[in-house]
Amino acid sequence: MTAQTRVLAAWQRGRAVALVPALSIAVALLIGAMIMILSSPLVSGEFNPTLPVTAYQAMLSGAFGSFDGVVRTLVNATPLVLAGLAVGIGFKAGLFNIGAQGQFLIGALTAAAAGLALNEASPFVAIPLALLAGMLGGLLWGFVPGALKAYTGAHEVVVTIMLNYVALAVLSWAISGPLRGQNVTFARTDDLVAASLPIFLGRDGHIGLLIAAVSVPLASWLLYRSTIGFEIRTTGANPDAARYAGMHPRNLIIFTMSLCGLLAGLAGASQLLGEVGYMTASFSTTVGFDAIAVALLGRAHPVGILFGALLFGAMQAGSGNMQILAGLPVQMVGVLQATILLVLTAEVVIRRIFRVQASGPELVELASVSASYGGKGTG
Amino acid sequence: MRIQRRHGFVVTLITSALVLAACSSAQIDVGKGLCRVIGDNAAATPAPITASGTSDLKIGVVTDVGTLDDRNFNQYSWEGATGAAASIGAPEPQAIVTQNESQYAANIQSFVDQNYDIIVTVGFAIGAATLEAATANPDIHFIGVDQFQANDPVGNYESLIYSEAQAGYLAGIIAASISKSGEVAGLGGANFIPPVVNYLRGFQNGVASVNADATVHIKYVTDSDLTLAFNDPAGGKSFADQFLAQNTDVDVLFQVAGKTGNGMLQAVEEAGIYGIGVDVDQWASTPDSAECIVTSAEKKLTSSVRTAIEEFAAGTVRDSNQFLGADTEMIGLAPYYQFADLITSEIQGKVDTAFDAMAGGTLDPCAPNACFTGDPDPGT
Repeated sequence: MTAQTRVLAAWQRGRAVALVPALSIAVALLIGAMIMILSSPLVSGEFNPTLPVTAYQAMLSGAFGSFDGVVRTLVNATPLVLAGLAVGIGFKAGLFNIGAQGQFLIGALTAAAAGLALNEASPFVAIPLALLAGMLGGLLWGFVPGALKAYTGAHEVVVTIMLNYVALAVLSWAISGPLRGQNVTFARTDDLVAASLPIFLGRDGHIGLLIAAVSVPLASWLLYRSTIGFEIRTTGANPDAARYAGMHPRNLIIFTMSLCGLLAGLAGASQLLGEVGYMTASFSTTVGFDAIAVALLGRAHPVGILFGALLFGAMQAGSGNMQILAGLPVQMVGVLQATILLVLTAEVVIRRIFRVQASGPELVELASVSASYGGKGTG
Repeated sequence: MRIQRRHGFVVTLITSALVLAACSSAQIDVGKGLCRVIGDNAAATPAPITASGTSDLKIGVVTDVGTLDDRNFNQYSWEGATGAAASIGAPEPQAIVTQNESQYAANIQSFVDQNYDIIVTVGFAIGAATLEAATANPDIHFIGVDQFQANDPVGNYESLIYSEAQAGYLAGIIAASISKSGEVAGLGGANFIPPVVNYLRGFQNGVASVNADATVHIKYVTDSDLTLAFNDPAGGKSFADQFLAQNTDVDVLFQVAGKTGNGMLQAVEEAGIYGIGVDVDQWASTPDSAECIVTSAEKKLTSSVRTAIEEFAAGTVRDSNQFLGADTEMIGLAPYYQFADLITSEIQGKVDTAFDAMAGGTLDPCAPNACFTGDPDPGT
C-alpha cells in the first residue's frame, strides 16, 4: 500500500465517521442563528438579521483571533479531553460512565490534599505526587462502580450517578473541614503553591495541555493496538462472545472503569493545579457532564474526542467576546451546545436530510451501550 | 399550607369585598396571621437618569456565578453600572455572566482584551481574580463589589465593603418594635463567616436598644458546611420550621443565609410571622414570601457601584478599600410596602436616630455584643 492510498483510506474512514457530527454541528449553528435572530428584538429592540454573524464572528475571534485566545481554547479543552476519554473508553467497553463528574471532583480533591500537604516541598516532588494523587482518587471512584457492576451486576449508570452525589458531599465536607484554608473568608483551601502546574504557553497555558495532548495517542494505542484494548472493545461489542473467547469480562469491566476514573481524576487534578490554584466546593461544576457530550460528539474515538473538546473549549473561550460584542446572554453558548447534542442524537433525521449512508462498525459500542438499557447486563 | 401569590390575589378580592376596602392592607389568616396581602404595592422604578455630559469610558461588568437578572448582587451591581453610564453619558455597559468559578479570570480578561476602561466584578468569590487582574493592568480601573483587600491595596482597584452590623442594627430596631411577644430570632447560615455574624450581632444590639428585655435567639445552620449554609433552601426551611416549632413565641425572623435563608422565609410565610430579608430588597427578590417580609437589611449595591463609577469618571481619587455604611447612605432598610402603616412614625424615628448616630460615628452597632472576633460565633 503506497503512502497516498493509505492517506486516502484514512480520509475515507475519517469522513464516514466524522460526517454526521460535522453536519450536526452545522445544523445546530443554523438553528442557533435562527434563535438569535428571533431573540434579537430583546437584545437591541429591533429585528437584527445580522446578529448571528456578529455573534459567531465575536466567538471565533475570541477563541482563535489572538494567541491568548487560542491558548484559552486549549486550556478550556484540556479537562474536556481527559474527562471525555474517561467517558469514551467506557463506551468502548459498553459502559456508560456518567460518573466522570464525581471522579473529576474526587481527583481534584485528592490532588488538592496532596498539594496542600506538599506545599513546602520542591515542585519537582509536589507536582508529580499531586497529579498521581488525583489519578488514584479518580481511579478509586471508578473502581467502585466497576467492581459493583462486575460482581453484583449493579448497573454502572445508577451507581456512578449516585457516586457523583457522594463525591459532592465528600468535597463539601473536606473543603469546610480538614482542608479549609487559614486566612480565607469562605470555604476554600489555601493556595496551592508548590504543586501548581508551570505555565509554558502564553498567559495561562499550563502543562496540563501536554498531558491531555499525550493522552489522546496513548488512548488510541491502548484501544486499537494493544491486547487489552482489543478485549475492551470485544467486551463492549459482545460480552458473551468475549467470554467464549476466553476473556474475562469481569476483570475488564473493573479495569475499564478504573481507567476511566483515573483519566477523569487526572482531568480534575490538571484543572485544579493548572487553572484554579485552590479548591472550592463549587469547583468547575459541569466538566464531567460536558465530557459526556464531548464523548458522544467524538463518537467515543480519542481523536474525535479531541475535536469535540476543542469545539466546546472554543465556544467557552469565545463566550466572553460574544457577550461583549453581540450583547447576547451567556446562555446562548449552552443553547448551542445542547442543540448540537440534540441534533446529534437525532442521527436518523440528519442522515435522511443529507442522504448519508449509515456508517460501519465504529458505532457498535454506542449501540451496545443503549442496548444495555434493555436489561442485557454484562459480567 | 403555603399561600401562593395567585391565591393571595384571590384573598385580596374576597377580603377587599368584605371590608369594602376600608383597610389599606388585609391580613392573611395563616399561622399567627401577621402576614399581609401585597395589594397594589410595587417595587419603585428608578427615576430616569439624564446625562450630565458625555464620556467615552467603556464599562464592563463580570458577574458572579448565576444570572444577570437574579434580583440580587448581579442585577443590582449591573444596574449601578448602567445607571452610572447613563449619568456620565458613557456607552451602554456590557456584562459577562460567569458560569463557574474557574472562568473568573478569563471573563475579566475578555474585557481587558477589548480595552475596557472600568471593570466591575461582583461578589467576594471573584476578589482574588480581580486583584490579580488589577495588578497586571494598572491602566484599567477595577471596582469589586463586596470585596476587601487585606494586604497592600492596589491603587486602580476599589473594593466595596459594606457595614453589615449597621444594617443589622436597623433591622433589630424594626424587629423589637413590631414584635408582640418580645421574642425575635436571627438565623444565620454559618457561624464562621464574618458578614453573617456581623449582621446578626448588630441585629441583637439593635433589638436591645429598643427593648432590653427582649429575647433574641441567634442560631446558625452549620459550623462547617457552606452548601448547607447558603445554597440549601429546603434545608433552610426545615431548620426554620424546627426552630419555630420549638420557640413558638418568636414572631419576627431575620435571615442571613443566602438561598438557604429563602427557605427560612418560606417557613416564615407558613408560620404567619414577620420576616426580615437580607442584602437586597427581598420583598422584590423573593416574591413567594413577600406577604411576610416587613423590610430587608440592605446593602445599597446599585448606588454604591454607580457612585464609584461616577467618582472615577469625575477624576476623584478614592481609597482602595471603600468602607460603606450609614455615613454615605450605602446601607439601610428596604421599603416596607404593605407594612408601611405598621412602622409608625415613632418606630421610624428610632430608625432614623440610630442611622444618623451611626453615620456620625457616635453609635457603635457592635456594642454591647461584639461582632465577629475571629472565632466562630456560638449564637444565643
